[in-house]
This record gives sequence, C-alpha cells and structure tokens, in this order.
Amino acid sequence: MRGVAEPLVARDWTRAIRPPTPVARVLTAPLVAGALGRYLAYGLIFLIFTVPFVWMALGAFRNEQEIFRYVSPLQIRTFVPVEWTLQNFVEIFRLGFGRFLLNSIAVSSAVVASSLIFNTMAAYFFARLEFPLKGVLFVLVIATMLVPFEATIVPLYLVVRVLGLQDSYAGLIVPWYASPFVIFALAQFFREIPRELDEAAIIDGCGRLGVLRHVIVPNAVPALVTMALLEFQNIWNLFFWPLIVTSKPELMVIQVAIVTNTSPEQIYWGRTFASSVLASLPVIMLFLSLQRYYIRGAVLSGLKG
Amino acid sequence: MALATTAPLPVGRLRRRWLIYAGAFAFVAPALLNFLVFRYVPIVSAMYASLFEYSLIGGFGEFIGLAHYRRALEDPTFFTAMRVTVLFVLLKVPLQVGLALGLALLLQRQLPATTIVRTAVFLPVVTALVIASTLWQMMYHPQQGLINGLLSTLGVPRQPFLTNAFQALPALTAMTIWKDVGFSMVIFLAGLAGIPEVYYEAAAIDGANTWRRFMNITLPLLKRTTLFVTVTTTVFAFQVFTPIYVMTKGGPLDATKAVVYYVYQNAFAFNDMGYASALSIIVLFIILAVSLAQMWALRGEHEY
Repeated sequence: MRGVAEPLVARDWTRAIRPPTPVARVLTAPLVAGALGRYLAYGLIFLIFTVPFVWMALGAFRNEQEIFRYVSPLQIRTFVPVEWTLQNFVEIFRLGFGRFLLNSIAVSSAVVASSLIFNTMAAYFFARLEFPLKGVLFVLVIATMLVPFEATIVPLYLVVRVLGLQDSYAGLIVPWYASPFVIFALAQFFREIPRELDEAAIIDGCGRLGVLRHVIVPNAVPALVTMALLEFQNIWNLFFWPLIVTSKPELMVIQVAIVTNTSPEQIYWGRTFASSVLASLPVIMLFLSLQRYYIRGAVLSGLKG
Repeated sequence: MALATTAPLPVGRLRRRWLIYAGAFAFVAPALLNFLVFRYVPIVSAMYASLFEYSLIGGFGEFIGLAHYRRALEDPTFFTAMRVTVLFVLLKVPLQVGLALGLALLLQRQLPATTIVRTAVFLPVVTALVIASTLWQMMYHPQQGLINGLLSTLGVPRQPFLTNAFQALPALTAMTIWKDVGFSMVIFLAGLAGIPEVYYEAAAIDGANTWRRFMNITLPLLKRTTLFVTVTTTVFAFQVFTPIYVMTKGGPLDATKAVVYYVYQNAFAFNDMGYASALSIIVLFIILAVSLAQMWALRGEHEY
C-alpha cells in the first residue's frame, strides 16, 4: 500500500556507533556481551508471551485433578500432561459447545460479509463520488470512531431493545454491519487507485456500480482482506456485547460460553482450558498464516494519526 | 471525475444533477444509518432515559429530571469506581506506552529472532480478552496457579494476587498490559521506521552518543505516534470491563470495581437503568474531556 511505512523495515540505528572495520578483540568483547544480553532479552520476552498459551493448550489435554498436582515445584510436568486425555473436549461438546461455535462462526461471517458490502460502498462514495458537503459527512464518520464503545454499551442496549432486536441473531449482527474505521482505511486506499482505470471503465460503459465492481474492488484485494480479517477477529472475540444482548442459551457465542464454565461454587479448569483453546485456535491460525495483513491493519490504525 | 452527461437543457441539468447526487448518496446511506442508529442515537436515548426512573422490568417510571445526576455526585460507590478507574489508567498507560516503546526499540532490527519475538508479543493481541482474562485468572490462583508455582520454586512466598484488595488491581493491570502492549509496539515500530536514517548518521558525525540520539531525534519525531498510542490506550483503559467481570467481579471489597462495571451492575443487576444511563453519560463526558486534555498536552510536531 503506497504511503504506508512498512513497519518491518530494518531500522538499525545503532549501526552508526559500531566500529566500521574489524578491531582488536578487546573492543569487540562488550559487543559480544551486548549481543548475548540482547538474545537473553529476546528469550525472556518470548517466554513471557508464549508460556501462558502453552500452559493453556497443554492443560486442555489433562484431567481435572492432574492440572494442579504438578504446579509446584516448577518442572516439565507442570506443562506436559502425564496422562493425555480428550475428556475435557468431550465434556464441553456434550454441554453444547458445538452450537456455540457455530453461533460464533455464523455471527462473525455475517458481520464480515455485510461489512464488506456496506463499508466498501461507503468508502467508494468518499473516494470517488461527488456529493455536496461530502467533507462534512467524512468528518461525521471519523467522529463516530471517537465514540467510546463500552461506555455507551448500555445505551446501545436500550436502542436495540426498542428495535426489538435483543436476544436474537440480528441483535448480534446488525449493530456492526458498518464500521467507521474500516470505511476510513478503505477510502484512503481507494484514493490511491489511479482514476485512469475508472475512466477506462466508464468509456466501456460502466456506471458507478460497474466501476466499483470492475476497477476498485479487484485493485483493493489486499486492503479488503485486511479489513475482513480485522472485523472477523473483532466480532469473534467480542464478549461484552453478546453478554448483555442475548440471554437465551441457544444464542450464546463461544466467548460468553467460556465464562459460564466458572461459577462461584466450582471452576471447571479443564473445560475452561479446552474451550479457550478451541476459541483461540481459529483466530491464532488466521493470524500466523496472514501476519502481514494483521500488522498492516494495526499500522493503518496507528498511522492515520 | 467526469460525470457523463449528454447536452442538457437548463431544467434537465438541475434535475439530473440532483438524481446523480441521490444515487451517490445511496452508496453511503446504509453505513450512515448504522452510525446514526447504533452510535449516536444511543447517546441521545441515554440522555433521555437518565431523566426518568427506568428499569428493564418495570419500564419507564416517573420523570425525575436531574435527580440521577445529583445522586451520582453523592454516591460513594461511584466515587470509588472513579478512583479505581483512574488508578487503573495511571498504572496501565505509562507502563504500557513505555514498555511498548522499549520493545519496539529492542525488536526493530530485521533478524529471524526478532521476527519470532515480535510475533509472540503480538499473539495476546489477537486472542480474545475473555480468554486472556480466564487464563490469567487461573495463573494467578493462590494455591494452584502457575505464577505462584514459579514463585514458590524460586523460594518466594506465594501471593494472594486477585484475592487481596491491594494486589488485585495491579495484578489485573499486569494482565491487560500483557494483552495490549503488542498492539502499541507495532505502532511504535511503524513510527520508528519512519525516521530517516540520515538524522542518526548526521548526529553520530556530530559526536552525539546513543542517549543523546534517542532523546533529541527518536523521541521528538515519535511525538505524533506517542500521542496516538497514549490517547487510545487511555480511552480504552477508561472503559475496562471484561477483565473485571471475568476475574474479580469488582472485588475484593470494590478494589477492582471500575466505572463501566458499576454501570453494568446498575443496569442489569440492580435494575436501575435510569441511573445507569446517567452514569454512562457522565463517563462519556469524562472520557471526552481526558482525550481532549491529552491531545492538547501532547500537541505539536517536530518537523526537521
């Protein structure tokens, strides 16, 4: 994407202080120590951010009693199961996890689909179409980004209730079918697409919709994929909203379902681990395989600054 | 852009233009409708509802004007909630911004090792907050948690963490920093990549050491990025809810009862929607004020 700084460019600002030519060993010793220290730091940071996930993932395969028998002193068995078991997974599916998983998939997909349609249309409007006071409308969209979500969630519930959408799939999907951030980011991207392509399509007889379909969309695939990913992840991970807008068990999404495994009387750790693993898996797999799109999305939200 | 038109008559041209505009508006109308109905109207409806006694079960009761707002000013729990929230923000924002910058500086080289570590740091960002919260809740468990397991192996006494009124909020904060620092780090990485190499080389020729280069080049040129990271982190921190709901339910002894959680309690547990609406409006304005204050304080941009 032109105009967006690539975040992973080598920016080695210590290059300027390193000796440019090989020097006596006494001068390189602190550099070796520096490199050693740096790699120790890398290792420590890596552990801090991955060990909890490893504990969780492996813990899902242990039975309830075993999870905590080996916590202290710290040893391999703290993490690696002595007896591998699928009992936890069986349990959660017996309790309806399959349904919750389907709910999450359905809701997330529906939001992504509708978001792709309506956000793309709106972004196209801002990037290409003429309209009086278009700038004012754009400011309105940006201002919408500033409305804090969780602070207004209770008022949102009131509105949804008035519309009769509470406790339904519609209530989970409809508030999200458009997103100001996505529109903003897509509009920026669409503006970069050369207008000559538009004009060529118009000469061929395309109307505004045709230009959108045949010029803009094909040229914006990376941006559209990035936005689709971000939206999918956001809705998949959403908790507070599904928590208050649905109360029927059949409508539960997995994030809410995970929490129902812990009650004041008894925490079912094995089940919580298992459902957490299953709930994280799609998002983490998507992330690992499509990293650059994720990083790009995060950078976009930062560089809009 | 050339809007294809045929040779027009005066009246026809006006009509045609209006039709064209209407057609264009159709592209943006659904999105605008969404924002109007689901982002702006709620604020208005909350302002309206806050003037009544209103509960989900009982429906709209009597009009009481600003009574809810007056009550908020005298509500000790509300002040506790504000205090907890402010404390949380003061803990989280500087630590997260500082750590994110540090991580970005440490991991900005292009090495296989740094790529792997950057990915690891970003992993909690894509994980659901609910999952991170339950995971850390289990890690913090006084007897059977992983962290206490590590501590006792090192000979350090076990800590109560979430069950202790003093440790609960810092413990919760630590989890949220772990979760969010990757996102801030990536933005800082992008900001760092935007600083031209020549500045550093020129400074090195002038004899500036590492520290001076950092203070006089890196920091000033990162001001805009730092502003963005700080403001967004603050806005999100003010609205913390899910970790509290999952890990502590506001306890122990309201030590972690942040303001949005209190709003939630009033709306759905105490069935006082009117009061909850009033509180939501108050919180909204506080967030707005704090954001504006931050943007003013961190304004200005260095152009070299």
